[in-house]
Amino acid sequence: MGTTMGRLVSRGLLAATALAAVACSLAGCGNSSTRAGQPVAAAGSPVTIRARSLPGLGTVLVNNSGYTLYMFAPDARRRVTCTDLCAATWPPVKVSAGDRLVAGPGVRADLLGSDSDPAGGRVVTYNGWPLYTYRSDIQPGWDNGQGINLNGGYWYVMQPSGQPLTKRPGG
Amino acid sequence: MTRPDPPGSAPPSRRAVLLTVGGLAAAGGGFAAGSQVAGAASSGADSLDALRTPTPGEDLMAEHGLLIRILLIYRHLLAAQASGQPVAAGHAHDSALIIHDYIEAFHEELEEAYVFQRLMQAGRLKPTVSTLLVQHARGRELTQLILAESGGTGSLPTAVVSRVASAMAGFVRMYEPHEAREDTVVYPAFRALLTPAEIADLGDRFAQLQTQQFGRDGFAAMVGRVGAIEQALGIYDLAQFTPPNITPSVA
Repeated sequence: MGTTMGRLVSRGLLAATALAAVACSLAGCGNSSTRAGQPVAAAGSPVTIRARSLPGLGTVLVNNSGYTLYMFAPDARRRVTCTDLCAATWPPVKVSAGDRLVAGPGVRADLLGSDSDPAGGRVVTYNGWPLYTYRSDIQPGWDNGQGINLNGGYWYVMQPSGQPLTKRPGG
Repeated sequence: MTRPDPPGSAPPSRRAVLLTVGGLAAAGGGFAAGSQVAGAASSGADSLDALRTPTPGEDLMAEHGLLIRILLIYRHLLAAQASGQPVAAGHAHDSALIIHDYIEAFHEELEEAYVFQRLMQAGRLKPTVSTLLVQHARGRELTQLILAESGGTGSLPTAVVSRVASAMAGFVRMYEPHEAREDTVVYPAFRALLTPAEIADLGDRFAQLQTQQFGRDGFAAMVGRVGAIEQALGIYDLAQFTPPNITPSVA
C-alpha cells in the first residue's frame, strides 16, 4: 500500500472500518465485538431488551448485559440521526439480519422494532425510538448519559411504557 | 512590553500551524511525531505527503491547547468570584459553549471513537481509559450546569454564582490531570499501536471530520473565540504571565 492509490483505498477502508468497529464495540451493539472482555450475541442470536431498576430513576430499559439504553430527542421517533462520531459515543443497539428481538420481563414486545441505520444495518427501536448505549457508562446499571445535551439534543433513558424519562437521577 | 496580537486577527488554521511545525521539526529532526512519519514514508511525493499530514496526536494536543486556554479563563473567573467581584455571565457561558460544542462533542468523541477504542481492543491502559470515559461524562454534566446557569446577561446572580464557580472549579481540577495524563501516557500508547500508514490515514480522517462539523477553518474560529474572551477579561497578553526577573542585581 505504498502507492498513492493504495493509500487512498486504505484511508477509505480505515475510516469506514474504524467507525463501524466503534459503533459495534459495546455489549449492546450487535454481533461479534466485546466490551471489556464481555461476550456479546453472535449473528442470529436473540437481541434481548430488558428492564432494570436504577437508583433515582426507577425502571428503565437496558440491554442484555445490563447497560442502560437511551433515546435521542432529535430522532423524533422517526429515524436514526446519531451517526459518525456521535455513534462512537452513543453506540446504537444494532440488530443483524436473522437476529430475533426478544422482550425481557416487563418489556413490551409490541413496542420493539428496528429502523435502518444510515451507517448500515438496523438499530433496535422501542415505541419508535432508536436505542443507544453510552460509552461513559462503563458498568452495567450506570446512567451517566441521563439528561445530557450532546450532539445536538438531549439523551434520556427509556421507560418500559415507551416514554422517555426526562428527570435527572435523584431529581 | 510587546503588543499582543489582536485576537480577531484571523489566526492560522490548525492544519496550517501543524504543517509549519511538522515541517520545521522534520527539518531539525527534533520532533518525534513528525520525524517518525517522515521516516516511515518511502520517498518522493508519498514522503512529502506524510510529512505534511498532522498526526492524530498533534491534532488532539492542539485541541488540548484550546482546552487549557479555557481552563485559564475559568481560573480567572474563579479568582474574580473569590474576591467578591462580579462574574460576567456571558464570559462563563461563551467559554462553556466552546467546551460543549468543540471539546465535548468533537475532541472527546474523536478520543472515544479512535484512541480509547484502539487501546481497549489492544488491552492497554484499561483502568485509565475507563476513568477518562467517566470523566468525560462528569465534564459534560458540569458544562451543562454552567450553560444552564449562565444564560442571562450582566453578572451572574448571587443565587447561582457559587454553583457555577463550584462547577468551574471541579472542571478545572479534573481536566488538568485528565489532559496531562492523555498527553503523556494515553496518546503515546495509542501512537505506539499504529503503523505509520495508519497515523497518516487518521490524520486525514480527523481533518475530514473537523471540516464536516465546523468547516475548513473550524479550529481557527474556536481559537479566535477564545482569544476574544481572553481579550475581554484582560488575560490575552501572554507577557503578563512572565514572572519578574529574580536574578540578583550585581552591585
